[in-house]
Amino acid sequence: MAHLRETSDKALKLLRTLPRVQIGNLRPNPNSKQNDKRGRAQHGGDKHGAGNKGSGQRQNFMRLGYETGNQPFYMRFPYEPYYKGHHMKRQYPPISLLQLQVLIDTNRIDVSQPVDISTLCNSGLLNLKPAEMEYGFQLTDEGLDNFKAKINIEVQHANEAVIAAIERNGGVIRTAYYDPRSLHMLSNAKKWFEKGVPIPNRMMPPQDALDYYTDAKNRGYLANPEEISKDRLVLAQKYGYQLPRIEDDPSFAMLSAAKDPRQVFYGLEPGWLINVVDKTIVRRKK
Amino acid sequence: MNKITRAFISVLRQSSSTCTSSTLLGRQLSYKSDLSLDKIYPSARLQLYTPPPPPPGSANKFNGYIPMDKLEITYSRSSGPGGQHVNTVNTKVDVRFKLAEAQWIPEETRQKLLKVLANKITKEGYYYVKSDVSRSQQLNLADALEKLRTVIRAQEVEVAAPSEETLERVRRRQERAARERLQLKRGRAQVKADRQGPGGVDF
Repeated sequence: MAHLRETSDKALKLLRTLPRVQIGNLRPNPNSKQNDKRGRAQHGGDKHGAGNKGSGQRQNFMRLGYETGNQPFYMRFPYEPYYKGHHMKRQYPPISLLQLQVLIDTNRIDVSQPVDISTLCNSGLLNLKPAEMEYGFQLTDEGLDNFKAKINIEVQHANEAVIAAIERNGGVIRTAYYDPRSLHMLSNAKKWFEKGVPIPNRMMPPQDALDYYTDAKNRGYLANPEEISKDRLVLAQKYGYQLPRIEDDPSFAMLSAAKDPRQVFYGLEPGWLINVVDKTIVRRKK
Repeated sequence: MNKITRAFISVLRQSSSTCTSSTLLGRQLSYKSDLSLDKIYPSARLQLYTPPPPPPGSANKFNGYIPMDKLEITYSRSSGPGGQHVNTVNTKVDVRFKLAEAQWIPEETRQKLLKVLANKITKEGYYYVKSDVSRSQQLNLADALEKLRTVIRAQEVEVAAPSEETLERVRRRQERAARERLQLKRGRAQVKADRQGPGGVDF
């Protein structure tokens, strides 16, 4: 680039404006000269740099951190549980609404069917690692304003603004809990079916998550459906949109399709054995 | 998973020819376990529905419901720092409506609002609320509506009349203040008079 000059050009430019080089104008480069003063004679010697009297000269220092008797700072806190149990906390890898819209627009996700963890993992672009304490996906509000898809989606966590964004477009969002075994099944369903194990029940959420999933405001899967319907109107009023009449939607059946709390896969009941090779389902006789 | 469901549906379709896939899906999605919602909430309406707008509250109070089609909402660019986002995205929200014709506000409250907001109503009779507090258009809209509801509800708050004790205290205070003011005034007048020296009175 033209404005960057060579060092030599800069030096020549300086030379033109600086005063003449004289002994009085010179200075050594920083850190090029070391002080060679030895600890001897009048100005260099005498006390070995230890000063006069006191613990300094007598080399009898108090130990580091000692505060002359009161409880020193480094001993005041016997317990600092900043990261206690962090490795056991549930994690919810985020998916932004922007990402979701892009996935829908590029046909990576089929929105004519309900969307859940397995749909998202089957797209190949999102991965869930249940072994690393990942308990599902959360929807974040990045791309909130431009979200335009009408979907039936089931995630594990979503905040109010995200719920409003999805319901504004006539969609349905639900938050549901999956235990780690169910997550393992959902994240790679085909691989799991190839094991030839019957589908187990989905487990109930732990105590600290139960409040979240039984709350209609979070569209929890264990919440009262009537409360959810009412809260849809409340949210529409809060966020300023006309609540679309979902009953009049031609795909109402798909949009209102919900899994049973014990069900892991849509359309497949616990206890069924999926035969991937023969494409059949084996189930117990009633 | 959904491919499995589709495969499953196609397997069943070979066996039953008259059903459509949506009814099949409906049938398959009606698995009810021991913890299905109809067992947890036996008396609730399980199917999703759109509730109608709530009726106006008792005693002619505003119930918080605002019909969205009666408001005129426009979006524009916000001010302040923010780089490309603030320069290009319409995040500022302007919500306006004709206050005199707003039937969704109870009559009494509407009249009070017309008086209180008389200086804020435009020539055409619009009252407006603007918001550009956040980076998101939708959140700003929520904020604008919240502001609007606050303004309306403020008119319905009944300010309690001051009690007799309060009024008595206030009256005493006012009288004391007047007394002290006059005392000071008389004091100053005496000082000024004393500076004049004695008058022509012969004791």
